[in-house]
Amino acid sequence: MNASQASHNARWAIPWVTTVARLVLGGVLIAAGGLKIGNPADSVVAVKAYELLPESVATTAGYALPIVEVVVGVLLIVGLMTRVAAVVAALLMFAFVFGIAWAWAHGLRIDCGCFGGGGQLGAGQEPTYLLDILRDFGLVLLGGWIVRFPPGRFALDRPLGLAGAEHPMDDEENGDGQG
Amino acid sequence: MGKAERAKSARDKIREQQAADRAREQRKKVVTYITAGAVAVAAVAAGMWYTMSRSQSEQAGAGLAPITVQPDGSVIMAKDGVTQPVVDIYEDFQCPACKELERVSGQTFKNLAAEGLAKVVYHPITIFPQDPTRANSVRAGSAARCVADGKQWMAFHDLLFENQPSESVEGFKTDELIEWGKEAGVTDPGFETCVTSQKHAQTQLDYSDKVNKQENLEGTPTVKIDGQMIDNSVIFTPKDLRDTVTGAAK
Repeated sequence: MNASQASHNARWAIPWVTTVARLVLGGVLIAAGGLKIGNPADSVVAVKAYELLPESVATTAGYALPIVEVVVGVLLIVGLMTRVAAVVAALLMFAFVFGIAWAWAHGLRIDCGCFGGGGQLGAGQEPTYLLDILRDFGLVLLGGWIVRFPPGRFALDRPLGLAGAEHPMDDEENGDGQG
Repeated sequence: MGKAERAKSARDKIREQQAADRAREQRKKVVTYITAGAVAVAAVAAGMWYTMSRSQSEQAGAGLAPITVQPDGSVIMAKDGVTQPVVDIYEDFQCPACKELERVSGQTFKNLAAEGLAKVVYHPITIFPQDPTRANSVRAGSAARCVADGKQWMAFHDLLFENQPSESVEGFKTDELIEWGKEAGVTDPGFETCVTSQKHAQTQLDYSDKVNKQENLEGTPTVKIDGQMIDNSVIFTPKDLRDTVTGAAK
């Protein structure tokens, strides 16, 4: 009895957790992309600063990044193609984790000292690599959750019939009519 | 046909009907998915096309306006008689965003000066407080001060940005600087010792300090038109930059 009650609660809670994860991850992506979209030079310089990609690839990636972030963020928020969007978002976040770890390991100080006065780090000051990695890794996990349990409540995927059939118990809308 | 058989065929029909329904639903799902995916990809492509076309650099024009190196190390590029609008460019040879500015909008500054639409003034300064970036920037900046000829200075300036070292290593080494100087057409026999001894290092630092305070710089690159700081989103968009400068001329 208890166990079945618990599993019922979980069935009820899981789609809501997915919705919250979608809103958080999508919101972060839209904010991050939106800040950069008006000034793609920022993003190009930032991608180049990591010294991970060859120059021409880095330039293209720098121009593409803010747009991809915003588009994927919007898809997540409205819950369209939720699973694919979450995979892309999680990969993006994972790439950021990798990039920051790479910068850390190579002793790069990502502070071009350029835009705004705040970019310059003082002598004893360390960039907040660990915090950034933890934050982005948390977002990777959110992406993973969405991939596992799509599309959650309030997702366009449902009315469009794109929601997977992994959780038929949640699909009250589809009922058992034709059974 | 017996009763049982009839019932069986009816069941088959229903089953076929259901299979057809499922197939139709599946097809609909695939079409919806592909449509949504295509819209998303198209949105990314359109956005990319838009930003990249806005960041498109201008083509090189007929040539360069006359360039003169000032005693304080700033460099004026203007057609004879053109005194305004004044476009001041504050940049650091080691700053990646300055390199990006030169890559995207460097040609626009040159064209505007050549067309007599502006008096462009370059101020190479050192903004980095820590090595190796600080020492790199000082070596490059003081080497540029060893070039007295305007045309050679501009070629040297372009080569420095093109060959900007990573921010994490020692770069702009004196033998490299001498090499690029030769490539830029510097023939002055004193150039080599001037670069190697970093004769103008202190001058470079003093000038940077002075300009930084005087102009209230928040960082580099900073571009001012008639003393008014121009937003980064404008200076990194060649067309907007040109419009702003020509607008200031009126």
